[in-house]
Amino acid sequence: MAKIGILSFAHMHAYGYASSLNSLPGAELAGIWDDDLERGEAAAKQFKTRFFSKMDALLESDIDGVIITSENIRHRAMVERAAAAGKWILCEKPLATTVEDAKAMVQACKKAKVGFGTAFPCRYSPPLMVAMQQIQSGAFGEIYAASCTNHGSSPGGWFAQDKLAGGGATMDHTVHVADLLRWILKKEFTKVYCELGNQLHKGSLKTDDVGSLHLEMEGGVQISHVASWSRPKSFPTWGDVTIQFIGSKGVLDVDAFNQKINVYSDAAMKAEWAHYGGNPDTGLVTDFVQSIHERRDPSITGIDGLRAVEVTVAAYQSHKTGKTVKIGR
Amino acid sequence: MNVAIIGCGGMGSYHAQMAANCGARIVACVDAFPEAAKKLAATHGAKKALGMKDLAKILSDPGVDLVLIATPTPTHLELVERAAAAGKHIFCEKPFCRTSADCKKAIAAAKRGKVKLFVGHVLRYFHEYEALKAQIESGKIGTPGWVKMYRGGMFPVGSKKWFSNFDQSGGVTFDASIHDLDWLRYMFGDAERVYCQALQRTEPVLMDYAQMTIRMKSGLIATVVGTWAHPSGFRAKAEICGSAGLLYYDSAESPLSAQQRESGAGPGMIIPLGADSVSPYQLEWEDFLAWVRDDRKPRVVPEDGLKAVALAEAALKSAKTGQPVKL
Ligand SMILES: NC(=O)c1ccc[n+]([C@@H]2O[C@H](COP(=O)([O-])OP(=O)(O)OC[C@H]3O[C@@H](n4cnc5c(N)ncnc54)[C@H](O)[C@@H]3O)[C@@H](O)[C@H]2O)c1
Repeated sequence: MAKIGILSFAHMHAYGYASSLNSLPGAELAGIWDDDLERGEAAAKQFKTRFFSKMDALLESDIDGVIITSENIRHRAMVERAAAAGKWILCEKPLATTVEDAKAMVQACKKAKVGFGTAFPCRYSPPLMVAMQQIQSGAFGEIYAASCTNHGSSPGGWFAQDKLAGGGATMDHTVHVADLLRWILKKEFTKVYCELGNQLHKGSLKTDDVGSLHLEMEGGVQISHVASWSRPKSFPTWGDVTIQFIGSKGVLDVDAFNQKINVYSDAAMKAEWAHYGGNPDTGLVTDFVQSIHERRDPSITGIDGLRAVEVTVAAYQSHKTGKTVKIGR
Repeated sequence: MNVAIIGCGGMGSYHAQMAANCGARIVACVDAFPEAAKKLAATHGAKKALGMKDLAKILSDPGVDLVLIATPTPTHLELVERAAAAGKHIFCEKPFCRTSADCKKAIAAAKRGKVKLFVGHVLRYFHEYEALKAQIESGKIGTPGWVKMYRGGMFPVGSKKWFSNFDQSGGVTFDASIHDLDWLRYMFGDAERVYCQALQRTEPVLMDYAQMTIRMKSGLIATVVGTWAHPSGFRAKAEICGSAGLLYYDSAESPLSAQQRESGAGPGMIIPLGADSVSPYQLEWEDFLAWVRDDRKPRVVPEDGLKAVALAEAALKSAKTGQPVKL
């Protein structure tokens, strides 16, 4: 039995991970810590586990690993403490808001000899898994270009506070696609250009809510990506992850969350989508639990998280300089 | 109104029908391939069907009031200059000319010849895009801040494969996405800068794929994707995001869809199958003819054609340099 704790419910993904943990036979949600007492206690009650009012108390308990779902800028300190306590770590995306922080986190886990993974559940989304297999099989030939989106609705709260999130929609919604492209194409990013701004929520948000990025990968693969919080409240679903791949042997379109039934209910008074298909969170958490049993890194590593951070950071830098930014290693 | 069609390929043939629908008469057809001219002339009962070396005969004919230019883009300037010098009003297909410098020369030629010069930015007449415009102007979605335009499908063939010569056609960026670039200007004003990635491959397969980000002077961000990389079909999409809502149009959700069994080389030009009461191409003609007859200002003026070309040109420059280009 792998005993796992969750540090902070600031990120709503914590709820998905907690319920996945509770559904797994080989895992136990052994405790929750949160700096927001009320939120933490409510989550502990909801997921039938213990609430710890002190982070160190949870880290010093007999848990094997932690899932960190705090605000972006707090990831580093928590990862470093959990690593020092010898715990396996799964950290929410974006891993960090600076390349320096992400590198330090990877280093800390290496030094402490603990497994370190980044939460990129999209790799466990069935449509994206099929897309990956198809592209890797060579059925679409060499991939020359891709155009991608990761739209969402405005999350508000700390997500749109620069001090806690390190940026806005571009920070929030670039890393998933960056990771998917690396995973599917098996190439690294070389260049980034980005136009971003607060385009839609001038009254309510201070950060950017749209980023239109142009990326290049090794071998000159041309990629555009739009990261946004552009879905209005009336939109039938929270957002999307889409990629159109252009290959020498054809075109492949994947719309990861389009496994859906259209729902028209007078109770909601707006069209809604009901999703079917697998739950990516469960795939992610299952791998994390296995990594603890097998004393290995989770399949999606800290380095994967770092590579995605490099893209985001370069995007903000490009916005500042108005030029293409090279990613060098 | 008596019309001479110059360039009797895909678009020229379609325009001849649109002009005829508006009550104009097709009196002459001219093409580098006299066969193409003859075929179109026969369809419309035009008396004259000539090769290009006889263009002067048509232009000096006082019985011709207007010319339609639907030849490959790099030939537009010379034809505009000659028609203008002969005092003929001109309907020129988009892209106006292959360079913005050429567009300026064409505009000057029309001024000198005192003729009306219309550039076929037909998207401004598409019912679905006009519906988008009306929704935007109604204020329902608040202030637009980000827009995505998508257009394309299979690689067009055209006569002598002129589209696949990227120097001539400018590829999907210059030939197809220019529709969206013009529409962005039409709706949201001028562009400040553009960044573009353009694929323009000839090996191992002929294909093009363009991805652009445009910052408008208003601050709006537009993402534009154009494809000539698909094995088949055509699709256009437009997504307008505002402070209070979102508009989305997708031609794949059209009221009509059809799949024809392919024969031969496939179509040289793609006009999406629609269920419009009046073709947007006919609306262009109505607008142009009203300008000629009644001096009523049309929806597209030559400067619009120039600015669309300048924007597409800047995009191609960005694709080459790998840096954004200021307009
Ligand atoms: N508005 C639209 O929706 C749309 C769609 C497609 C093309 N176009 C534009 O229309 C124009 C023509 O495109 P098309 O698809 O009809 O191409 P096409 O190749 O089908 O037709 C071009 C015709 O011009 C003739 N021609 C070639 N060189 C010539 C020359 N020097 N002088 C006279 N005739 C010549 C060819 O023989 C051919 O018949 C281009 O500018 C293109 O960008 C517009």
